[in-house]
Amino acid sequence: MSDNHKPAPMVDEISDFEVLEIAVRELAIEKGLFSADDHRRWTEYVHSVGPLPAGRLVAKAWLDPEFKKLAVTDGVKASLEVGVDWINSPPTKFGTPSDYCNLRVLEDTPRLKHVVVCTLCSCYPRPILGQSPEWYRTPNYRRRLVRWPRQVLSEFGLQLPEDMEIRVADSNQKTRYIVLPVRPAGTEGWSEDQLAEIVTRDCLIGVAVPKPGRKADDKRHVHPAVHPVHHDH
Amino acid sequence: MSSPDRQALKRHLDLVGQLQPAYHQPNHAPFPDEIDHARYRALLRSPHDVGGEPDVPIPWEEKEEEQWELNTFATCECLAWRGVWTAEERRRRHNVDLGQTQYLSLPYYGRWLLGAARILVDKQCVTLTELVNKIDEVKKRYEQSSTR
Repeated sequence: MSDNHKPAPMVDEISDFEVLEIAVRELAIEKGLFSADDHRRWTEYVHSVGPLPAGRLVAKAWLDPEFKKLAVTDGVKASLEVGVDWINSPPTKFGTPSDYCNLRVLEDTPRLKHVVVCTLCSCYPRPILGQSPEWYRTPNYRRRLVRWPRQVLSEFGLQLPEDMEIRVADSNQKTRYIVLPVRPAGTEGWSEDQLAEIVTRDCLIGVAVPKPGRKADDKRHVHPAVHPVHHDH
Repeated sequence: MSSPDRQALKRHLDLVGQLQPAYHQPNHAPFPDEIDHARYRALLRSPHDVGGEPDVPIPWEEKEEEQWELNTFATCECLAWRGVWTAEERRRRHNVDLGQTQYLSLPYYGRWLLGAARILVDKQCVTLTELVNKIDEVKKRYEQSSTR
């Protein structure tokens, strides 16, 4: 589809999705399927999650070999040490309905790079990494990463040597992954805080690697929302 | 399904790519004996199973979240929290059951939202009439508030 056939974004109108969202939510609450308070608490929970705990988990694993052992054998238990309780942090107290409770931490080596995808939907370790980025959800990423991983990674600016093995982890409803990248040179003697700062979301998905001085993911075009999320509730 | 070699996989994906119903293809309601094993397998593929399909590079973009998208996510999770559906039922409705055109042409949370609307009706939590009336009511409410 060429760009000039896309309909102009609606600004002053309420979209069909907005109408349907309000209708479904209000009906569900009126019928007592869940309460307005449930919805508010879930929304607050979503605002509370993001990639910081996963970055902290990696920094801890770099510094503490015992913790690294725990992280790669039991990711859910290791999450507790960075403040993420997969069972009790969500308001359900039985985990999130959609993420299950199984985190695998994939350890990179100098000869092996991991990268995460979900080819069948967009499964993502939300409790420890927040909401997935838009590109991760695209059919394009899901189609191509499993078949041409080296090329897709290069499009993210990650050029890997020919002799580096790439292993693509395909997430599913019961298993979620984060990448434990190799600790980069030039970080000797760094504190946990300093190390955590360079482990960004993209490093944890595996489309980037941490480097001294790289404290944020590469700038990409951000498609703006018509009615963006407001954080005042 | 046994794991095919790369050539077999490529043939499968090529065939899948040719299956889109179109008026130039004589594939509408074929005779049973026209369905060979390869075609049968290709027809059973569901639209969300996109791994390995050929595609061209696109710019990788981030997106600011719409309020309705966050609300939709919360609604879907609350419906599961309170036992109306499980995450597996949710995924089936917005990944598998939509069909190729809706699957590829709706925004990500648009699919979640249609799945939530559908489950309320399918499980008889609301009638289709109640849903349609509610949609009308929301539209009218918005028109009134925007003409104030």
